[in-house]
Amino acid sequence: MRRPSAPAFLAGLAVAALAALALGLALGAAPLAPGALLAALGGRGDPTAVAILWSLRAPRVALGFVVGGVLAVAGAGLQALVRNPLADPYLLGLSGGAGLGAVLAIAAGVASAWALPAAAFAGALLAVAVVYRLGLVAGGGLDSRVLLLAGVVVGAFAGALLAGVLAVSEAAQVRTATLWLMGSLGGVAWPGVLALAAYSAPAVAVLLAEARNLNLLALGEEPAQHLGADVARTKRRVYVAASLLAAASVAAAGMIGFVGLVVPHAVRLVRGHDHRFLLPASFVLGGTFLVVADTVARTLFAPLELPVGVVTAVVGVPIFAVLLKRWTSR
Amino acid sequence: MARSLALLLALTAACSSRPSSGRLSITDDWGRTVALASPAQRIVSLSPSSTEILFAIGAGPRLVGRTAYCDWPLAARAVPSVGNGIEPSVEAVAARRPDLVVLYASAANRAAAGGLAALGIPVAVLKLDLGADVVRAARRLAALTGEEPAADSLVAAFDSSLGAVHARAAALPGRAPLLYVDVWASPPMTVGRGSYLSQLLEAAGAANAFGDLGASAATVSLEAVAARDPDAVLVIAADTLQPPDLAARPGWSAVRAVREGRVLVVDASLYGRPGPRMPLAAADLARRIAPLRWRSGR
Repeated sequence: MRRPSAPAFLAGLAVAALAALALGLALGAAPLAPGALLAALGGRGDPTAVAILWSLRAPRVALGFVVGGVLAVAGAGLQALVRNPLADPYLLGLSGGAGLGAVLAIAAGVASAWALPAAAFAGALLAVAVVYRLGLVAGGGLDSRVLLLAGVVVGAFAGALLAGVLAVSEAAQVRTATLWLMGSLGGVAWPGVLALAAYSAPAVAVLLAEARNLNLLALGEEPAQHLGADVARTKRRVYVAASLLAAASVAAAGMIGFVGLVVPHAVRLVRGHDHRFLLPASFVLGGTFLVVADTVARTLFAPLELPVGVVTAVVGVPIFAVLLKRWTSR
Repeated sequence: MARSLALLLALTAACSSRPSSGRLSITDDWGRTVALASPAQRIVSLSPSSTEILFAIGAGPRLVGRTAYCDWPLAARAVPSVGNGIEPSVEAVAARRPDLVVLYASAANRAAAGGLAALGIPVAVLKLDLGADVVRAARRLAALTGEEPAADSLVAAFDSSLGAVHARAAALPGRAPLLYVDVWASPPMTVGRGSYLSQLLEAAGAANAFGDLGASAATVSLEAVAARDPDAVLVIAADTLQPPDLAARPGWSAVRAVREGRVLVVDASLYGRPGPRMPLAAADLARRIAPLRWRSGR
């Protein structure tokens, strides 16, 4: 099957993103009639409808878009960095570190709306720092194999400590920790969304600036060096930027699987490996995908809510399987 | 003569409780027969509810072990703790040398029940999930401890007090206040109609905002909470001295009851478990929600 042209693909992405945002605002556990919805959009009408739309749905949709985009970009960057298609934003010890940070905060009794994300962020950064330090043992070039191994080992270590803390803490604490680790977009209001967006922008910019060098890196480290890329610097920058993004998204929404792994592959399958296109397209597609998945999670069994990670996997796997079949059998 | 009279009395007593075997015997909630030769003297109680019931029927002084969560009555805290009541340490329980272990009917306790049985320790498995379970458990624990008269008066007081609370609430003017039960903040977790807390609300003359849900516990959308517009939010808190600030939770000001400060914070120990204190909890709740009744016709 023929690949769509870049403008056609971008236009399609933009339409899909806008449709997803509109859908996310229009649908929810509380059924709002189209008239009431429009009135609430303008801040008029029933105050409860206005509050549902502007203090619950809108920040949630915005958070979903930013978290989805950030995870997809971080995943694309890390996959290019370690040149391993299985890399995802949580691979390099990050999930274990974030989980351990969160659980320790809960066990210490400081699980407020702000302390929990802060502790998860700190735990993730600590894990990232340890993995980074271990990755440097083979020289300044961050050997991919060492990095992967160090990530898995640090993740296992943090995971073991986490299981240990859970085993000796109270039942209610365990429940919070496990629920929180499953990932949810429901726990953040506007200030949190804006903080994540402001924080993520520079890291995303760093990744975009390294797009050309990542293209060269795909040829292999030596050819990339010969073609003028500072391989060691590119790898350090991509690793730090992607890890900071993943850590921030974990802090804001817990661990939401699948987006960071599959969205970059989907873009690659359809549009190829050029990172100057892959990275921004992954951001938009990741955001769109997570907003749609969260809308499904909120409405499918309303007023019950599904963990959004369940939906990302259940919706994502079949789509990905179809893509895999159509674009690799050419 | 005196000796034969004593024998006769003993026989009569035995016949009145269990005419067939002459032993104390019940069928527990897993359908197992639990038989004791004589009333239990060393009891390990592995759920806070059964601990409260045992104290209420006067068998408290015979407790030799409890869970870390058994915090009521105060005398229970003097009993040595054996840790968790779900997946308990069989070794820690056995070390208390009990002649009866009361286990909570959870699938996670199958292994512990088997382990204790293998050590020859009698185990009574009791379901303690709903209000009616309290009465059934009290009767059977009374049979195993020889405290039937105390259990009879407990059950009579339990039923009549609950009935009185309900009748008083039903006689009040206005409609039953709609309450959102806040079990957990993020993600928002509440209770459905098959839950003890839903029963407690009903007993106190209140309605559960998510009483239409079949599941006993459920994660719900915050916007569904806002849309159902409860008269008040009932927060089940482990620590009522430091009540949570609901308005500070992200997004919760979308719920009108939170915006307008109608938040009731109650003690998880009193409200959160079915036990002999259910009428007390219901009366407490009825008193707290009485001011909400004038909020009708909105």
